[in-house]
Amino acid sequence: MAKQLKFFSLVLVAALMLAACVAPQPAAEAPAEEAPMEEAADMSGKVMVASGGMIRIGGSFALTGPIPDPGLNIRHGAELAIDDLNAMGGLEGFMFELVAEDGACDGTQGTNVGNKFAADETIVAVTGGTCSGETFGLMPILQEARIPFVSPSATNPDVTSADCDVCNRVALSDALQGATDANFVVNDLGLTKVAVVHDNSDYGKGLAEIFQNNVTGLGGEVSSFEGVQVGDTDFRAMLARVGADAPQVIFFGGYSTEAGLVAQQMTETPGLEDTAFMSVDGAYTQQFLEAAGDAAEGAYVSFVAGADSEDMNAEFDAKYMEKYGVSPDDLGPFHSQSYDSVKLIAAAIAAVATVDDSGNLVIDREELLSAIRSLDAFEGLTGTIKCDSMGECGAGGVQIFQVSEGDFEQVSGFGME
Amino acid sequence: MTSSPATSQAAGTDGRTVLRQLTRVLGAVIVLLVIWRVATVGLAEGYPASFWISQALNGLVLGGVYALVALGYTLVYGILFMINFAHGEVMMIGGITGYFALQFALARGWMEGPWAVVVFALLLIMVIGMAASVLIGVALERLAYRPLRQAPRLVPLISAIGASLFLQYSVLLIFGVSPHSYRKPALISGGLRLGDVFIPYTGAIIFITSILLMLALYFIIQRTKLGRAMRAVAEDRATASLMGVDVNAVIVVTFMLGSALAGAAGVMLGFHNTVVKFNSGFIPGLKAFTAAVLGGIGNIPGAMFGALILGLIEAIGPSALGIPTEYKDVIAFSLLVLILIFRPTGLFGEVLSEKKA
Repeated sequence: MAKQLKFFSLVLVAALMLAACVAPQPAAEAPAEEAPMEEAADMSGKVMVASGGMIRIGGSFALTGPIPDPGLNIRHGAELAIDDLNAMGGLEGFMFELVAEDGACDGTQGTNVGNKFAADETIVAVTGGTCSGETFGLMPILQEARIPFVSPSATNPDVTSADCDVCNRVALSDALQGATDANFVVNDLGLTKVAVVHDNSDYGKGLAEIFQNNVTGLGGEVSSFEGVQVGDTDFRAMLARVGADAPQVIFFGGYSTEAGLVAQQMTETPGLEDTAFMSVDGAYTQQFLEAAGDAAEGAYVSFVAGADSEDMNAEFDAKYMEKYGVSPDDLGPFHSQSYDSVKLIAAAIAAVATVDDSGNLVIDREELLSAIRSLDAFEGLTGTIKCDSMGECGAGGVQIFQVSEGDFEQVSGFGME
Repeated sequence: MTSSPATSQAAGTDGRTVLRQLTRVLGAVIVLLVIWRVATVGLAEGYPASFWISQALNGLVLGGVYALVALGYTLVYGILFMINFAHGEVMMIGGITGYFALQFALARGWMEGPWAVVVFALLLIMVIGMAASVLIGVALERLAYRPLRQAPRLVPLISAIGASLFLQYSVLLIFGVSPHSYRKPALISGGLRLGDVFIPYTGAIIFITSILLMLALYFIIQRTKLGRAMRAVAEDRATASLMGVDVNAVIVVTFMLGSALAGAAGVMLGFHNTVVKFNSGFIPGLKAFTAAVLGGIGNIPGAMFGALILGLIEAIGPSALGIPTEYKDVIAFSLLVLILIFRPTGLFGEVLSEKKA
């Protein structure tokens, strides 16, 4: 009996350990069968796709972590782009394949995903990461491995820089969003006493700092600058402190759930009853509305929108509905950016790929890097996509929404004249 | 702290006395530094009294939740001398189950009914959450700990960490990664306004319920036959067994009691903070463990007061010390380290036998 128990407990421990190892990446797919690769001597710095193989594009998506729904939405956008590319015959008869990994909206996990891609010689380029922190994890590894990435949604200004020739993005930089938000709060709403709260993520804190600097620049007063942690649920102690200065508006830089809870708990804080609430693209989600409940009403949220062409988006939305059974906007923003980011990568690959004598597709990595930034402008879902020399490829501008009867309604910014 | 305990032991009794005195001096210096910081920075901010009262109330609510969870740690430690690190997950299961029970009640419109119906539904939700936690707690004991009862002390601890991850990621895979949002019924939304102090109803409910549950637990342990059996097993398992106490049954009941309290905490925290997800038991679990150590692990009143003190320190600490509120966790866990260094038996000491030390 004792022996049996011992054996049983050993099995249980083994099972627990297995679960612990496997579980953190539930949504990550096992890579499909490896494309057969015969490395020739002169193939360094080049990707060769053997005849009949797939052109493999890596994807780092925030499938777990603070914003799983938007992460999934961005993954769907990329998958639809791959579907469309393949439906149009792929490239020279070669089909595209998305290798999706879970970047978890987190720098450490971004590093893991980067290492995975860097170790896989068949990865041509990467779409992602979803979050800025995650992208900061990917960045140095992909730079070293000479794999270009195009992020659909990482908005921290430092995602692109003069030193990084693999870094590109379709989303607009937070330098623009922070400035627009500050201008909206100080000049349009006329609120000059501002409290700034952030979630200590690279994205949230970065945006909060830009906003703070712009508010000060416009002559506003920042009464407090407080941080919380992603995953916190009780902000009452922090809000009591913010409320002691009775600011006119709280600006929150961060993601949906924390934004929603701050909006909700500030209604219960003395000194903040009449304070307005504003957050950013990380909170432009259904999750924010759900977490905030009734307190969402009247909240302002900004978003870095693309210059959407209505016809193309209607077609995209229909395909999305058909494949996933849900409207893209129910999961989050940035699906169109994700679609465009994959399209951009594919266009760059098409510009440099050649077919050699034995029918293999050869892609030179260095040529691909410069091709992304020298591509002719093309019409994507989010407008005219054209990368500058820094890797900023997005079109559009910053929109500001206000929650009215449980829905986002645009009140200012890009596209409203 | 240049000399480690090992070297001081080698140096003999003198070395140990010197070390003890050094620790005392160091402790006094830290206390003085904190007082100086509070006096010069925290109080200099000039917050009104209502601010400190609000923060203290926030702290008591936090403390009430920590206390319910900390009791589970302390009860199990008192009897098995092991730390059940999966206890935070037991609480999370209560919260998640409570969410689905609430969805069930919402779908039937019970939450918009007359107040008696709402109160009944809320109690029902709490009981369902507690039942789920009890189920998980008992399963943990049976599957993860009982087979390892004769093993060295470290082994059940590892099993507990494994169980904690297993539960977290099971919930992740079954119920998804996205957080679940509780919808508060109108009856317990909002709160009481006294001048510049606001008391959310959910906060008041948490504090009062946790006090009542703790009193009930104290009664069970001190005044019933079952409690006497529990105390006997804690004192000396072998002897208690010789006296006719069914040790296994007592251990199962201990897990049930601890898990029920954690489940209640999970549901109430769900209503208070309105969001639960697969890892929402992790940090409160660690904090409750800190509280249990603070009060003296194994000591039941110690866990209650330790938790209330920890909650207060966490809520008031950042403002009193004049540091950003994002460091509240740093304060809590620094406290754990300081307690382990200066008073390993906790503030209230260990009241049970010396055998387990």
